[in-house]
Amino acid sequence: MKKTIQALSLLLFTALFILATYRLPDWLPADIYLRIDPLIGINAVIASREIIARVLWSLLLVGATLAVGRFFCAYLCPLGASIDGLDHLFFRKVKRSELKRDESLRRWKYALLTVTIVAALTGVSLVYFLDPIAFLTRFYTFVLDPLVIAILNLLLDLIRPVSQGLGWVGLSHLTYAQPVYYMTAVTLMIFGAVIALSRLAPRFWCRYLCPLGAFLSLLSPLGVFKRRVSEACNRCMACKKGCPMGAIDEDPLKTRLPECIQCRACAGICPEKAISFPAVYSGIGEYSRPDITRRGFVASLAGGLGFGFVGLQTPFTLLEGKRQLIRPPGAIPETEFLRTCIRCGECMKSCVTNTLQPCFWESGMTGLWTPKLEPRMAACEPNCHVCGKVCPTQAIRSLSLEEKTHARIGTAILKKESCLVWAQNKMCLICDEICPYNAIVFRPIDGYRRPVVIASRCNGCGYCEQRCPVKGESAIVVVTDGEIRLKEGSYVAEAKKLNLEFMPDPGDDKFVIEESGFKVDSEAQKEEKPPPADKPAQQKPKGFL
Amino acid sequence: MVNDTTGISRRQFLKATAAGVAIGLAGDPLRGFAAEEVDLAVISGEPAAATRKALEAIGGMSRFVKKGQRVVIKPNMSFAKTPDFAATTHPLVVAAVAQACIDAGAREVLVLDHTLQRAELCLERTGIRDACKTLPGVHVLAMKDRKFFQEIRIPQGKVLDKVEVLRDILDSVLISVPVAKSHSATGVSLGLKGLMGLIWDRESFHYRFNINQGIADLATAIKPALTVLDATRAMTTGGPGGPGDVKKPNLIVAGADPVAVDSYGVGIVPWYGRNFNGRQVEHLLIAHQRGLGKIDVEKLKITKGAA
Repeated sequence: MKKTIQALSLLLFTALFILATYRLPDWLPADIYLRIDPLIGINAVIASREIIARVLWSLLLVGATLAVGRFFCAYLCPLGASIDGLDHLFFRKVKRSELKRDESLRRWKYALLTVTIVAALTGVSLVYFLDPIAFLTRFYTFVLDPLVIAILNLLLDLIRPVSQGLGWVGLSHLTYAQPVYYMTAVTLMIFGAVIALSRLAPRFWCRYLCPLGAFLSLLSPLGVFKRRVSEACNRCMACKKGCPMGAIDEDPLKTRLPECIQCRACAGICPEKAISFPAVYSGIGEYSRPDITRRGFVASLAGGLGFGFVGLQTPFTLLEGKRQLIRPPGAIPETEFLRTCIRCGECMKSCVTNTLQPCFWESGMTGLWTPKLEPRMAACEPNCHVCGKVCPTQAIRSLSLEEKTHARIGTAILKKESCLVWAQNKMCLICDEICPYNAIVFRPIDGYRRPVVIASRCNGCGYCEQRCPVKGESAIVVVTDGEIRLKEGSYVAEAKKLNLEFMPDPGDDKFVIEESGFKVDSEAQKEEKPPPADKPAQQKPKGFL
Repeated sequence: MVNDTTGISRRQFLKATAAGVAIGLAGDPLRGFAAEEVDLAVISGEPAAATRKALEAIGGMSRFVKKGQRVVIKPNMSFAKTPDFAATTHPLVVAAVAQACIDAGAREVLVLDHTLQRAELCLERTGIRDACKTLPGVHVLAMKDRKFFQEIRIPQGKVLDKVEVLRDILDSVLISVPVAKSHSATGVSLGLKGLMGLIWDRESFHYRFNINQGIADLATAIKPALTVLDATRAMTTGGPGGPGDVKKPNLIVAGADPVAVDSYGVGIVPWYGRNFNGRQVEHLLIAHQRGLGKIDVEKLKITKGAA
């Protein structure tokens, strides 16, 4: 039964992950696994010093653990299920004797829990690195999803001659847009390491490292279901050997309650059928002090403070406001954003154009895996607002499409020295053609019609930068200048205050041009003062003779 | 009536109606002959009905599509915009043309475009995929991967000697179903400009050479058998992507001559607030001068009607 529930949970996790696309209906919380994770919640709340509404979902898991025990790890945790599955695949036949340092290793997870929480107190979000749900979501986003798509496309290519021959039009034309990401290799290496550690001990990660496991361990002894061994026990120690968590003491009658995940493997193994898991309410009677030494605790306090120190005492912190990173629309102000974002990668997965990419060191250690836009590769799609919808900590706010349109992420600036029209008098207007907001107009300057950005109409979507035909760096780039980052309140109202206008409007694109094409003779130029939209009828539109 | 299949009463009714209108307008007692001779059918009315009638008036789809042939319909679905923006072809026009192809015995109908925005968004928002969903044998596909393109030579090209085109058009009957809209580089974007949606490297047209010459070059190599211009709405400014000023001429213009259809389309509405004719559109004039079609509307034989 445990395996079935695990498989179903992993399946649900995977299904929600797949559903996290721009089509995601408003009522479906695709990030529910991340929301119910109390470790993420506590850290995001502490680091950001804000109550985050979505985090309250984690009370569900806290409550359930208080009532039942640390069942999450055995039954629901998708990473646990992945580890168990891959363990079966790779290490089934490996004989693993108990690690000599089992006792001290087990304390590591409490130390890591302490480190992340202390780091959060200093305002550095560290939980993302070790939280199992964020960790697995990241692996899914940056490794598994691209891998599956690549394999699918490969298979489709392989059978394409056949599907073409058979006249299966749909199949012969089917191909999936390949998502690509920075950090895929790094993410894969870390995941690989976690799986490889299981070679040393089953569920190495869960036993020794997982800070969420550590957190649930603190609550677990209060749960109702507890392992009980009857007098039929003949001390064969089979249960101890078979316990994937090392939760059984030298004395097989005793259970290390914080470690027990109630998988009931021991009950299955016991030749005497001496083990059961009855419901016993004993209050705090069986609560034991967490397995952590004073030295270890002090060391992890120091570790957390140390992380906080090296994370924040860098020029990156001072440069936060001046940085060139384009954040997703609706991202809260940078300092709060870095504290709140748990780098699960859900926003990047769901991004319809694949423009959201994980940072490496662009904003320092505190910015690893945070989402940024890569407008040269793809633009932010005006019809999509999914990134905020799936953000479990609301580091990217969930906004209506209208609000999102006004959540300006930057402003396009034109680089005259490389623009084909400005620098070479060529006839190019791709940026104007693609701009969804009519923020680019052509004006007669130096005897030639040249593109100009109307900043008050540009919300930084990046279509111009993406499509600019100049090789190498685009001649029109989105910069963070003018971005609107609000912790609360309406972006529409803010944009109105700033006299910005992102509504689709035909007004300013009466892009007119003389018979001579882009060239404008000096007489006409004198007559026509920008903006040209005021009297468009005098010249012929481009393309007409 | 040549049509001897029974049980398609609506179709026959439409044919009869079209014939009646044709007789009424052209005063020609023999509709069949008239259809062979007219250059254009211009029908006003609701998108689907007007399209069906225009197709009948131009001689029926069987004039262009033979039994067992494969058809590629090229609508404009490059932008993820709903039909009211007039940046894309009306879904009901596309569906009506596709249905006519199936009725004419087409083996399969592919509705294809190399979209500018994300493929799935374009298919979704334009409504074209939905409109064709119930038509058996019709597939609506947005092609965003180079593996579906193949290089062809353009022997008559002046600025373009080769180009990568959608492979599917090479062994199919091509029917172009553009929307009428303004275009900031080419003045208008109708049938000939719409053919750029069949090539891989669209951008290079904008900076490597004169785009108008490029469009004419492309027209020497890619020749649609039929062009059905959707002028049920026309985006008269702000094209090609919009948003722009949308007029509602409620017209469908069909014809075998792509230059003639476009040239007529130029005169339907004022563009950017001014009236133009086909000769004033650079890429149309170049195409005409290179013998790709008739440009003077007054010299065309036109069947007009209403649906």
